[in-house]
Amino acid sequence: MVSGSVVRTRPHMQRMIWQDRVFHAVNLALVIVVLVVMLYPLYLVVICSVSDANLVSRGQVTLYPRGLTLDGYNAVIKNKEIWRSYVNSVLYTVSGTIISLAVTMGAAFTLSRKFPGKRLISTLFVFTMFFGGGLIPTFLTMRNVGLYNNVWVCILMGCVSVWNVMLARTYITSTIPEALYEASTLDGATQIQYFLRIVVPLCGTIIAVLSVYYGVDKWNDYWTGLIYINDRALLPLQTILKEILASLEMSREIIMSMRDNAESDAVLLQRAQIAKYCVIVVSTVPAVVLYLCMQKFFVKGVMVGSVKG
Amino acid sequence: MVSVGLKVGKRTSYVARLTKVGRQVVANRWLYVLIAPAVIYLIVFNYFPMYGIQIAFKDYKAVRGIEGSAWVGLKHFRTFFSAYYFGRLIGNTLLLNVYNLLFQFPIPIILAVMLNNLRSRSFKKLTQTAVYIPHFVSTVVLAGMLYILLSPSNGIVNHLISALGGQPIYFMNEARWFRSVYIISSVWQNAGWSSILYIAALAGVDPELYEAATIDGATLWQRVLHIDVPHIIPTATMMLILSCGGLMNSAIQKALLFQTGGNMATSDIIGTYVYTMGLGNGQFSYTSAIGLFVNVINFALIVGANSISNKMKGETLF
Repeated sequence: MVSGSVVRTRPHMQRMIWQDRVFHAVNLALVIVVLVVMLYPLYLVVICSVSDANLVSRGQVTLYPRGLTLDGYNAVIKNKEIWRSYVNSVLYTVSGTIISLAVTMGAAFTLSRKFPGKRLISTLFVFTMFFGGGLIPTFLTMRNVGLYNNVWVCILMGCVSVWNVMLARTYITSTIPEALYEASTLDGATQIQYFLRIVVPLCGTIIAVLSVYYGVDKWNDYWTGLIYINDRALLPLQTILKEILASLEMSREIIMSMRDNAESDAVLLQRAQIAKYCVIVVSTVPAVVLYLCMQKFFVKGVMVGSVKG
Repeated sequence: MVSVGLKVGKRTSYVARLTKVGRQVVANRWLYVLIAPAVIYLIVFNYFPMYGIQIAFKDYKAVRGIEGSAWVGLKHFRTFFSAYYFGRLIGNTLLLNVYNLLFQFPIPIILAVMLNNLRSRSFKKLTQTAVYIPHFVSTVVLAGMLYILLSPSNGIVNHLISALGGQPIYFMNEARWFRSVYIISSVWQNAGWSSILYIAALAGVDPELYEAATIDGATLWQRVLHIDVPHIIPTATMMLILSCGGLMNSAIQKALLFQTGGNMATSDIIGTYVYTMGLGNGQFSYTSAIGLFVNVINFALIVGANSISNKMKGETLF
């Protein structure tokens, strides 16, 4: 009885020895440091985006917003190019993710079953994880097949990830009992009915996880726009952001969009700098919000993925 | 008589097998329909480009197309091996990846152990959610944040350096800072996310082990060393072997964003070189040859790494 009650006592209910106290204290301190390092840069960008340009550029905004203003956001909203690319990105992300999910789940279901030719098709899939055409042959091929400078290349590029197919297949084989298949075929269901009515409804978790993977990948992709799009009207947000953010010089476009009255160039530049913070916030919020909404699914989805099938 | 009978018997069994396969194909027809889109996708986006690799051995002319261009053998490979930048490109690519691995590999493991030993469940969950967030920031935004925060004139980091009495550093435009900036930002972005695998491994530890150890008077630190670490080692070994398979890979999408005129001496890696020379200068065949060279090395490394991990774990990764 005594030993039973000891086993049942949770460790932290017992009187702790001093080594463990030190361990917990040090561990907690380190975790808090990690949290600050991870989140402070993001927090800093957010508070700078609503602060006075002059104070920000002098490094005076560090803990909370100062000289509250929405000038930067106004400039971003007024910039037509950012707007247009934002709409493009929403379109590419939503349609791309839906197509990705449909194709991935279909392939994953098929690979979870037995059928003639399965080994050949599996090899076809897995080989692409080891070897590829490389940047230039891919570029020339896409141009040849007409996937160049149009919305299709933006929607379809990267819409099947073999890794995700394997993840979904593992999920199906490890969570859906074979008895269900036998029962439903006995009742006269075809394979496609079984897939649509039984498998898909039972795959909510993995579909949620995959929609975050595909959606965020698509939303954050600047590469397709950079390589395959010529027409500026078709560019996704991230490719436009690359021009605005990732260079040592200031984009002329954004400076001009901030000029509403006669100001000195220095003030103008500072304010354009603030717009950069705002663009970061506006472009990052959708991906992070999508993740936060879906994050309760992650533990289960990722756990299943890590158990190999 | 016997031989004829045998022949007929063999033929019928062959025919029977064929009809059996045929019947199975018909019975599973919906499976083929369901996988067809993915197969078509892989053929167009992965296998067509592999067919296009042949231009590495040709002199690609746009008017003649991929198939019509003239064969030149290994000319482009020779040009690359004797190129002025050959050594620098290989060195930069390898060094960047090796340094990256040195930091990207252990930090997620330490992080997972730290999180696993938090006493409060809810704080652990909150922390986990928080450390994954940087993973969802795009590479473009990451680079943009660094250009802003590390700016020599008005970046917060240089304000701090000046306040401490130092000279402002032009982080994004100096060759000696490229690798540090690149790797530290990678760790910031991926450490939390990569720790998921190890957290999952730790979640599989039987709680009775901890209880038994506690009864035997083990301190927390000893439990970490003798229970947590051994449980992580299989996953960690597998991840390490796999990362070694990517040592010649160039994370071109990220490196390109960090490349500036001032840091070319260290930031010029194979991937960015292929991009600049290929799409910028139109040297399609030459850069395809470089791409093929790298892909073959990568293929060998990955297949090697995979077979090592198979031998150690007794099962395939894919």
